[in-house]
Amino acid sequence: MVLEKLGEAINAGIKKITNAIFLDKKLIDGIVRDIQRSLIEADVNIELVFALSERIKKVAYDESIKGIDKKEQLVKLIHDEILSLLGKKKELKLHKKTSIMFLGLYGSGKTTTIAKLALHYSKRGRKVALLGLDTDRPAAMDQLEQMAAKAKVQAFIDKVEKDPLKIIKKYESALKKYDLVLIDTAGRDGLNKELIKQIKKLDKELKPDYRILIMPADIGQVAKTQSEEFQKALSIDGVIITRMDGTSKGGGALTACAETKAPVFFIGTGEQLHEIETFEPVAFINRLLGMGDLQSLLEKVKSASSESETKRMEDRLKEGKFTLLDLYSQLEQMNKMGSIDKLVGMIPGMSEAKVPKDLLDKQESKMKHWKSAISSMTEKEIENPQILEKETSRIKRIAKGSNTTTTEIRELLKQYKLLKEMMGLDGIQEGKIDQKTIQKMAKKFKGKIKF
Amino acid sequence: MFGSLKEKLKNWIKKSSEKNTLEKTPKKEIIKKEKSKKTPKKSSKKIKKEEKKIKEEILEDEIIENTQTIEEKSKEKKSFFGVFKRFLTEEKFEELFKGLELILLQNNVAYEAVQAVRDELSNNLIGKNIKEIDLAEELKKGIGSILINPPNFIDEIKGSLEVKSPFVILVCGINGSGKTTTIAKLANYLQKNSLSVCLAAADTFRAASIEQIEVHATNLKIPLIKKDYGSDPASVGFEGITYAKKNSIDVVLIDTAGRMQNSASLMREIEKIVKVTKPDMKIYLGESITGNDAIEQAKTFNDSINLTGIILSKADVDEKGGTAISVALVTKKPILFLGTGQNYEDLEIFDKDKLIEKLGL
Ligand SMILES: Nc1nc2c(ncn2[C@@H]2O[C@H](COP(=O)(O)OP(=O)(O)O)[C@@H](O)[C@H]2O)c(=O)[nH]1
Ligand SMILES: Nc1nc2c(ncn2[C@@H]2O[C@H](COP(=O)(O)OP(=O)(O)O)[C@@H](O)[C@H]2O)c(=O)[nH]1
Ligand SMILES: [Mg+2]
Ligand SMILES: [Mg+2]
Repeated sequence: MVLEKLGEAINAGIKKITNAIFLDKKLIDGIVRDIQRSLIEADVNIELVFALSERIKKVAYDESIKGIDKKEQLVKLIHDEILSLLGKKKELKLHKKTSIMFLGLYGSGKTTTIAKLALHYSKRGRKVALLGLDTDRPAAMDQLEQMAAKAKVQAFIDKVEKDPLKIIKKYESALKKYDLVLIDTAGRDGLNKELIKQIKKLDKELKPDYRILIMPADIGQVAKTQSEEFQKALSIDGVIITRMDGTSKGGGALTACAETKAPVFFIGTGEQLHEIETFEPVAFINRLLGMGDLQSLLEKVKSASSESETKRMEDRLKEGKFTLLDLYSQLEQMNKMGSIDKLVGMIPGMSEAKVPKDLLDKQESKMKHWKSAISSMTEKEIENPQILEKETSRIKRIAKGSNTTTTEIRELLKQYKLLKEMMGLDGIQEGKIDQKTIQKMAKKFKGKIKF
Repeated sequence: MFGSLKEKLKNWIKKSSEKNTLEKTPKKEIIKKEKSKKTPKKSSKKIKKEEKKIKEEILEDEIIENTQTIEEKSKEKKSFFGVFKRFLTEEKFEELFKGLELILLQNNVAYEAVQAVRDELSNNLIGKNIKEIDLAEELKKGIGSILINPPNFIDEIKGSLEVKSPFVILVCGINGSGKTTTIAKLANYLQKNSLSVCLAAADTFRAASIEQIEVHATNLKIPLIKKDYGSDPASVGFEGITYAKKNSIDVVLIDTAGRMQNSASLMREIEKIVKVTKPDMKIYLGESITGNDAIEQAKTFNDSINLTGIILSKADVDEKGGTAISVALVTKKPILFLGTGQNYEDLEIFDKDKLIEKLGL
């Protein structure tokens, strides 16, 4: 539920950004507050939440980024921030012979997870053995023994011995016959010096290939200290998050682990032995956001923007206004109709054959430059491009600010004039650009629009 | 366990009250500067008129102190709100609360509970004279109104035993929260208070759950009523009660399997156990380390079986202590004990005044 809330808040935020005509401070603050709240409710570390909010605000308040550019940047930023909160995907790579030691807080699910992995890997042809070193919890050895029987793997346990080091010695040679040895340890608090000393000793003795931390999904703000302490003591290779079948979806555990750079290998989703899954951060966030990947998110921004843009354009034309931004979105819409080469293909006498590929690429890059040039303009300049022609120093300033050339900006202005003229055509005024309109366009502007 | 929270809260209160006094000091400086400059502007006449009007409306001594400020402010074309600065406005409250909110959230108080504290404080504080606000006292009241002190555990049981025997205690909660361990601690505590106890191993699901509780029963020399794995937990509980009746045992402690609160079938199962065993006390066993989900967990269990109280285990791990506030808020039920370790003695009677005191309030 908490996860869904987070998804909802982020979704709603992205939607608001996508559909907004102006990204004013009030709108941004509202979106940031909603995302903040949902992250807090998902147990993400508080400092992390506030730092993230600041980064979003920084881009959102940045006056030099404008229009659709800002929307795209914001959506991308939110997406990337959430993704980086979750950390990178990493697969647990097993060697021919591998030993893994499991550790973590009391009752976090170590023993159960070990049994799950035993089943998982023995199904994949590994010869698996379990080693029981939890000499603290009553009947911990019985639990491991019973679960091993269920998974049909061998468990090496000692129900009497109280010193785990002695148990290690006892089974040292027997364990050599196995491909994969999973080591169960007693629950411990990362801040308990005595218990940390003990696990360090075990680690020294066992020299496991991997050390995996087990964390429950519903852990709160202690997640950070715990993962940090375990990381400090032992250098954790990865994490498994249990109880993901509950209502909490591991925000605290996931983000704490990402912060300590320990990848999440698996998630536990129930008490049964088969209830374990590999963790896919990208799929996880896509599910979280309830929509596709970043690409499709950005597509949405663009199409929604152009929908509202088209409408806005109509209104503006009725008012007799047409700015450089309008030009840009118009060009972009043409672009979307199926990139410029398709458009070209639709225009009689301008078949693809006659337009070399590199010229098309040039046009695309031209668009990019125009976009950054427009971003460097003041509101006034965008609204009334005429002043640019009167005061050429402005063109120089814009070229410098946007890392473009004055030639490119002049070209943009030329296109603007052309298109403004073109606006007289009925089809475009209605926001439709169909075959007929294009033919008219081609006729009228043959030779004038240079690709 | 509340060490860090205590430190932070103290700092916050100190800072907040410093802010209040700080705000006044620079004002006085401005007034002095103003006096020495004495460059009246054209608009000041008009303002003085308005001043008079305000004077009539507001207590005299306040105005006298603030007249100069108004002059100064009006020059900067600012509003007359300077006069009202001594009362806590909504904006000022928000600003003040921001710091507190951060501290509470850092200390694992769930978002929903933080908002409840905020509402309580804002109701009490906004519009009050800043001078009269005792932040520590208000915060104490706010948190105090959420927490409920438990009745005396032993007295309660002994009182009930005069009417009806045995006294049945059911312990439930999510997986691995510490139910079995806490049952052993409770059994030990009851025995120390000269009450006889037996245990019912109604977790018939988890591997070695029966062996685990058996170890405790043996250690504490308590009878254990058990059946096979996979058998009906309600019937194990019922047999525990029958055994207690037959052997005149005072208290039956029923251990149950862990269950996630969103598992409908397992929640139905616990409801059935309650129906069959009719416990005198239904305890939810939560973990102090749980974050915001504690709210959802405690609420669902409470809605499902109407809890008597809550025990929070692993309080030795989390020095933050905010979970108590979260679960108390949504269940309106007392916290009975805190689990503070793995040994039988590691059980602390919950005392809200002690918690508030520990918070440094
Ligand atoms: N619902 C759920 N329960 C789990 C999961 N993993 C472990 N458990 C349960 O959590 C409890 C504690 O697990 P255990 O393996 O004994 O934890 P350990 O003390 O860390 O070894 C048991 O009741 C398990 O059945 C999981 O992914 N989902
Ligand atoms: N440090 C600490 N560990 C605890 C506490 N209560 C329970 N545990 C440990 O938590 C783990 C799970 O406890 P258990 O009673 O088996 O949980 P159950 O699955 O709810 O019955 C065991 O390793 C216990 O020793 C506590 O108050 N403090
Ligand atoms: Mg274990
Ligand atoms: Mg148990």
